[in-house]
Amino acid sequence: MRLLVVEDNEVVADAIVGGLQLAGYTVDHAGSAELARNVLAAEHFDLAVVDIGLPGADGLSLVREVRAAGNAMPILILTARYELSERIRAFDLGADDFLMKPFEQAELAARCRALIRRANLVPSGAVTIGRVSIDLLGHQLCIDSQPVELTKREWLLLESLAHNLGRVVSKDRLLQALAGWEAELSANAVETHISRLRAKLGEAAVIRTVRGLGYRLDEQPERDAQ
Amino acid sequence: MTIQRRLVLLLAPAFAVLMLVAALIDYRIAIVATRTTYDQALDGAARATAALLSSEGGMLRFVPPTALRAGAPADQAGSLLYLISGPDGKLIAGSALLPEAASGGNPAFADISYAGHALRVATLRVQTPAGIARVTVAEPTALRSQALHTMLVGDLLVDFVELNAVLLLLSIGLYFSLRPVRTLGAQVEGRAPREFQPFAEADLPGEVRPLILEVNRLLELLNDASHAQQRFIADAAHQLRTPLAGLLAQLELLLSKPAAAALKSELISVHRAIQHVAHSANQLLSLARAEPLAALPDHFVPNSLEERVAQVVERNVDRADLAGIDLGAEADSAVVLGDAWLLDDLLNNLVDNALIYTPRGGRVTVRSGMHPEGPFLEVEDNGPGIALAERPRVRERFYRSAGSPGNGSGLGLAIVDEIARVHQAHFAILAGTGGRGSRMRIQFGPQAAADS
Repeated sequence: MRLLVVEDNEVVADAIVGGLQLAGYTVDHAGSAELARNVLAAEHFDLAVVDIGLPGADGLSLVREVRAAGNAMPILILTARYELSERIRAFDLGADDFLMKPFEQAELAARCRALIRRANLVPSGAVTIGRVSIDLLGHQLCIDSQPVELTKREWLLLESLAHNLGRVVSKDRLLQALAGWEAELSANAVETHISRLRAKLGEAAVIRTVRGLGYRLDEQPERDAQ
Repeated sequence: MTIQRRLVLLLAPAFAVLMLVAALIDYRIAIVATRTTYDQALDGAARATAALLSSEGGMLRFVPPTALRAGAPADQAGSLLYLISGPDGKLIAGSALLPEAASGGNPAFADISYAGHALRVATLRVQTPAGIARVTVAEPTALRSQALHTMLVGDLLVDFVELNAVLLLLSIGLYFSLRPVRTLGAQVEGRAPREFQPFAEADLPGEVRPLILEVNRLLELLNDASHAQQRFIADAAHQLRTPLAGLLAQLELLLSKPAAAALKSELISVHRAIQHVAHSANQLLSLARAEPLAALPDHFVPNSLEERVAQVVERNVDRADLAGIDLGAEADSAVVLGDAWLLDDLLNNLVDNALIYTPRGGRVTVRSGMHPEGPFLEVEDNGPGIALAERPRVRERFYRSAGSPGNGSGLGLAIVDEIARVHQAHFAILAGTGGRGSRMRIQFGPQAAADS
């Protein structure tokens, strides 16, 4: 995976590049939007980390140009400013995520991983979480490369969760996913099927209940306590 | 009280007194005019009566006209009583008992009483071949007082109508001339708090114009100050956070290298210290952003509190897991006019506090919904709670209660207080369910509620 970091502050850029390299990515660095434009025109990148406050053209105008050129790679915006309008504009222009400085290296790496995974989900139709791999096109769940049988309802729930990997999916949305397939469903149906799905996933993946909100398929099953 | 009302209330009694005085003068004039007119008529009657006197061989004769001949009763309005006496005082015709007016002018007039009636008499002395005869005619004074009365009533009626007309015209005039002032008043009332657009200066009456010009000048100053503060916050944020981000990221990178192993505990201390600086810088910037000049309601948009609650719970759920705390939401829909970033800050500070103070195994719940008073947000925990005596103090900037864990800046609840204030919400620190823990409640006013 190849990443481009667009950041003018040498100290920050140096640290981000180092951190992302440690996370296993190939990382290039551009100190300005102009430089980044040239690099992006010539080569393929899987993701760009773009600082808004660049000298010359700012990060937001770079996002606009990239999207205008038809490039759909995920873009993560970095900013030190504190303006809601900036965040809104960034998303309007086509940025995929937004991270505030200062941040933790682990957080940046996790966001990059999630963005790349989501971007690849559509063309490949597959997600891999540790020992678990979910083939969304072939409707196949494998743990340690061994296929696991799922009922139709369990599969619909897993599909919804996998599409929103690392994000909380509300109970209502899961219920809708099920209701599309079968009409009469009680509110407890989601809970019942989730617990069956959990049993089948075992230790390999975690479906976390977020009280009052819904469920989340964790990106990292073995997230170790700090 | 409005200027219009004040003027009308002030002028109405003054006008009324003026009209009363005018009516009194009119009355005096009317008395004189009536007497003159009626006396002239009486004089005429006396002369007409005298003309009927004829002298035949030294004897005076009086031939009454048909109307007089009948001898109509004296109390009948319009009828005349008369007495004609000869030079020797001998009665020639008429009522013998009718008193004559004592001499004065010719005719002489007098007010007398006759048979229980008030009468006005005129006695005319006429030269006849037989000598000076006296012709006295009398008329009830009731006639003239009746006319006077009619005149007086008419006068007062006209005055009253005039008074009302003047007040009405005054009101209409005031209504139109005060229209620009009223428009201005409506503009001021309809204004959102901390709105800095200047007032329109056209069409303003001279009296309020200087005031408005001055207010506009101050508004412009405030507007500039507000922009300057927002710029400063943005710049300060950039200048503080970029180097901090560099420092932290470099340190984290360093910590992951094998060479750093020997100094790991020292590096972790440094990292923690920088994180503390970063946290304080963030909190100070949050506080500055929540201040009234920086947080302008013209940036406020409808915000779903349900979404804000979901967002803050989702963001903190991993941290709660690490701390062994059950973090959850009870989010009902409610929409308020506000700034999403500030509302997030508010909730994050409350949840941050709850997660710091609640012990492992505890429970933190974030709520939103509609109360009869308006939309609300609430963060409840079952930790140690805040003692009653401490509750007012914990909102103070940089206040930290004795023995508080973590390395907080003491700004968290001050920020919550400021953000609540700019949203015209009330921040209450209450006890949790069953008196355990604390319940931080942000109650928005009904005016904050917005349609989604």
